Amino acid sequence: MVVFPELSLSGYLLAHGVLEHALRLDDSRLEPLLKASRETVLLVGMPLREQHGGISNAAVLLEGGEIRGVHRKLYLPTYGMFDEGRYFIPGPCLEPLTCSLGRFGVLICEDAWHLSSSVILSRANLDGFMVISGGPTELDLGGEPAGGRRWHWILGAIAITTVTPVFFTNRCGWEEGILFGGASWAVDPRGSTLAGPAPALEEALLVARSSRAAAARARTLTPIPYAERLELWPAPRERGDA
Amino acid sequence: MLELPPVNVQLLAQAIKAFLAEELRASGLAGYLVGLSGGVDSAVSAALAATAVGPDRVSALALPGPTSSPESLRDATMVADAFGLQLQVLDLTRPGDMLAETLDARADRVRFGNLMARMRMVALFDRARPVPALVLGTSNKSEILLGYSTLFGDAAASVQPLGDVWKTHVFALARALGVPESVITKAPTADLWPGQTDAGELGFEYATVDPVLYWHHEGGMGRDELVASGFPPPLVDGALEAYRRNRFKWRPTVVARVSASCINVDRILPRNPER
Repeated sequence: MVVFPELSLSGYLLAHGVLEHALRLDDSRLEPLLKASRETVLLVGMPLREQHGGISNAAVLLEGGEIRGVHRKLYLPTYGMFDEGRYFIPGPCLEPLTCSLGRFGVLICEDAWHLSSSVILSRANLDGFMVISGGPTELDLGGEPAGGRRWHWILGAIAITTVTPVFFTNRCGWEEGILFGGASWAVDPRGSTLAGPAPALEEALLVARSSRAAAARARTLTPIPYAERLELWPAPRERGDA
Repeated sequence: MLELPPVNVQLLAQAIKAFLAEELRASGLAGYLVGLSGGVDSAVSAALAATAVGPDRVSALALPGPTSSPESLRDATMVADAFGLQLQVLDLTRPGDMLAETLDARADRVRFGNLMARMRMVALFDRARPVPALVLGTSNKSEILLGYSTLFGDAAASVQPLGDVWKTHVFALARALGVPESVITKAPTADLWPGQTDAGELGFEYATVDPVLYWHHEGGMGRDELVASGFPPPLVDGALEAYRRNRFKWRPTVVARVSASCINVDRILPRNPER
């Protein structure tokens, strides 16, 4: 499978440009990708024009010349530099996507910052998480951009606590004066690096090999996801309003 | 006392160079044009551009006026030499005096200073056109936050590589990039009248005010919290007053919205559609 970052077909900072560039799933401009998917499974990011109105920030899985599944971003960050809630509608559900390579939990950037997303998906016996991202970064004293460091913690936590490999692709370099942090990475169910991290500022192709049998062994030895008790999670968060 | 968090200067330089390369690529233009004042901001901007896209694609202008000190031109020349830039000197003394006389602005040093800053902007954008080049901005985050700039003068540029970089970190970049020592150690000045310094006008040094600005602007601390954390009240009040008073310069104009498609309000679009 070749996995591209969030909104890979359009760029991240389109703002109202999504009105012009959003594609329907039957858009003929997807033909070259559908054709390529006869040889390789593809996961791409794009602004998706919905049948009944609205535009989703979507990840589309293609295989065998067909669209095998779509994940629509659930959590649209609208704070700080982000304004996604203004341009996109939130996805309605969280379900794994399936192709001949297995069953995958697809998370788009902010989705992964809500750890519940990976916990919920991990009940579906996943073969891996695909986290596709357009993660901006700032610079601090670190030798790598701060964004890559935060992703490392989050993705490592997802992999280790769900005992599932995580494949992360992130936009890199500059777009509209915003620096994206790159550092794409693949990590195994015990937190060991499978590939990467990619450089922060340069485009790169990472190749990661993952073993379904090895992941199953890891879950046998550390069966953490099978013990998950979602019924402990019923109450809405108390806001502590003044 | 709260401090300005340090930054990895090597990575900062590397990132800004990538920014300058990308903006030039996206614009499709031939290079950058920078006005070298002899100060540290324009020296750092020029050094970053020269190493990002090559010194042959960065041209430099020195634009002395009636009030410029001779050291400024000397230092601008030193900076150009240090980074392999072709420096052209255009003396704006006569046109500056003429325009000031026409406008009757010579007696008011602030008006005259603004006039010269805007005249330099005119010269830079005019000379950029035939190259064609992007005008390389030299404003830093500290002076933007304090509003210590001339609207449509030095604040006007095609790109602002240092616009999110604290002045304290501009000095660190200058050392890392090999900017001549005398440019780094001299007192920052807008050179708008003889003996003018930023600190003299603002009432504080950048090294002193940067932590206050950081903890207010990024850290979200209010006046009382800043004072309680140990910053002297006159420093905090002076910094926050400039921050508040000059905020209009962050958005140089305001459009009256009378439709549902007001540009940059209802319709926000990328700057470079073919990026």
